[in-house]
Amino acid sequence: MNYSELTRRCFDNAGAAAGVLSGACVGRGTAGSRRHGTWVQFDIEVAPVPAAQSRIVAARFLAFACPHTIAVAAWLAERSVGADCAAALPESVQALARRFDVPVEKLGRLLIVEDAWVAAATAATAAVAAAGMRVTIS
Amino acid sequence: MSPVNGPVYLDYAATTPVDPGVAAKMAECLTADGVFGNPGSSSHEYGDRARRVVDAARAQVALAVGAEPAEVIFTSGATEANNLAIFGVANYYRDQGRHLVTARTEHKAVLDPCRELERRGWRVTYLVPDTGGLVGPAQLAQALERETVLVSLMHVNNEFGVIQNIEALAAVCARHGGVRLHVDAAQSVGKCVVDFAVSGADLMSLSAHKVYGPKGVGALLVSRSSGVQLEPLQFGGGQERNLRSGTLATHQIVGMAAAFALATTDAAGVEAERGRISALQNRLWRGLEALGGVLRNGEPSNCVPHLLNLSFEGVEGESLLAAVRPHLAVSTGSACGSASNEASYVLRALGRDERLAESSLRFSLGRGTTESDIERAVDAVSAAVRRLRAIGGP
Repeated sequence: MNYSELTRRCFDNAGAAAGVLSGACVGRGTAGSRRHGTWVQFDIEVAPVPAAQSRIVAARFLAFACPHTIAVAAWLAERSVGADCAAALPESVQALARRFDVPVEKLGRLLIVEDAWVAAATAATAAVAAAGMRVTIS
Repeated sequence: MSPVNGPVYLDYAATTPVDPGVAAKMAECLTADGVFGNPGSSSHEYGDRARRVVDAARAQVALAVGAEPAEVIFTSGATEANNLAIFGVANYYRDQGRHLVTARTEHKAVLDPCRELERRGWRVTYLVPDTGGLVGPAQLAQALERETVLVSLMHVNNEFGVIQNIEALAAVCARHGGVRLHVDAAQSVGKCVVDFAVSGADLMSLSAHKVYGPKGVGALLVSRSSGVQLEPLQFGGGQERNLRSGTLATHQIVGMAAAFALATTDAAGVEAERGRISALQNRLWRGLEALGGVLRNGEPSNCVPHLLNLSFEGVEGESLLAAVRPHLAVSTGSACGSASNEASYVLRALGRDERLAESSLRFSLGRGTTESDIERAVDAVSAAVRRLRAIGGP
């Protein structure tokens, strides 16, 4: 299979964004299963400061998945730093599919990415709230 | 040897580069100053010369595989030979029964014709080899029926390299009223001994481009002593004993013969090359085994040394291939590596689960493979597997 330049670059350099985070303001979300061929996990750390808009200060991912899925997960983890912590992908699945030239038969894998991302963002928000800090979900 | 800056070529089971000596012989049959005539043109010297060249090539191919020249039917390749064998026998003997036996680990060039016959009302028994890849004689005997008209089993498996005991399987067919046996030997020549007469097979498919010959030519060996009959699949000229009409491609046939001669005539050289390939394969296996979680597909003691098929635990198949692709030219059991959207059905038939079948790589070594190539392959695959396992988490 041929991959776009962006997919190839993000896949080749995915190690930089791979890993796990820990701390009071970290939320984790997972989706999919290795048995079925695609599993994705995100750790999202939110700034522990009272603010109208909470900011993502770090994000990491793990993935047992195809190059497209790994590339998208790595791109999301890297590009999200400094962005608002929202219970939604920064871009729609359709927009990500276009950006990475993801074949239509693989769109279901991007939904797994979305599920993991939303779960992590939601968990991060809950973690900050549990720590007594105020955040606003945009 | 692979180019220093290019990917290491370890896909010799897919195809091989044409040997320069073979290419030179082929070139002599193309232009006006060479043997360009139509071998079927008996009315002039140009045709006679071409016919003599084809006759010599036919004898050379026959000699290389223990057959008689008259048993060699040239085709466009092993796929056509397989089709001619399967449909040719099925059509000729359809009044005797409509049952075939083959194995789940066969090449698509055998399985697809069998499926087509099923669509036409035939019954096909698909044998499941043992976990090492072998079909047992007793297993075959149990599958044979009064209505069985053909058994089709391959000699050397193209994915994991196991060598079937054709003589033992042929003996089973002989004991069962002389059920015809077709053998796909596309991967065999130059890798192990092929002796059509001794094998007991009625029909055998051969390919040139797997053994440093040109693409687009192969042969079906049709035993004269067994008396097996075929119905032709194409008509128009009556070439090749009326079994394969069409102008003979002199240059292709000459190329096939030269390649087969190179692969078989120098017994000591062939054995030395086999030893060299075996040592390289062992080095590759030892290097990759050290990663841990690496499973070997096919029973090593029954496999040709040119093939090494490995499954890597904890990595996704398409990503593995994508990670090694800049460094290596290999085949994969992953969906992305094939036209069909499924894990390798061959490895699944050996009992590998879908994930392991997808995360398999087939390394096939050849004349150009060097120690340096093997070291580069070990480094590239090791780095890819470690990186993907790290990304994949615990």
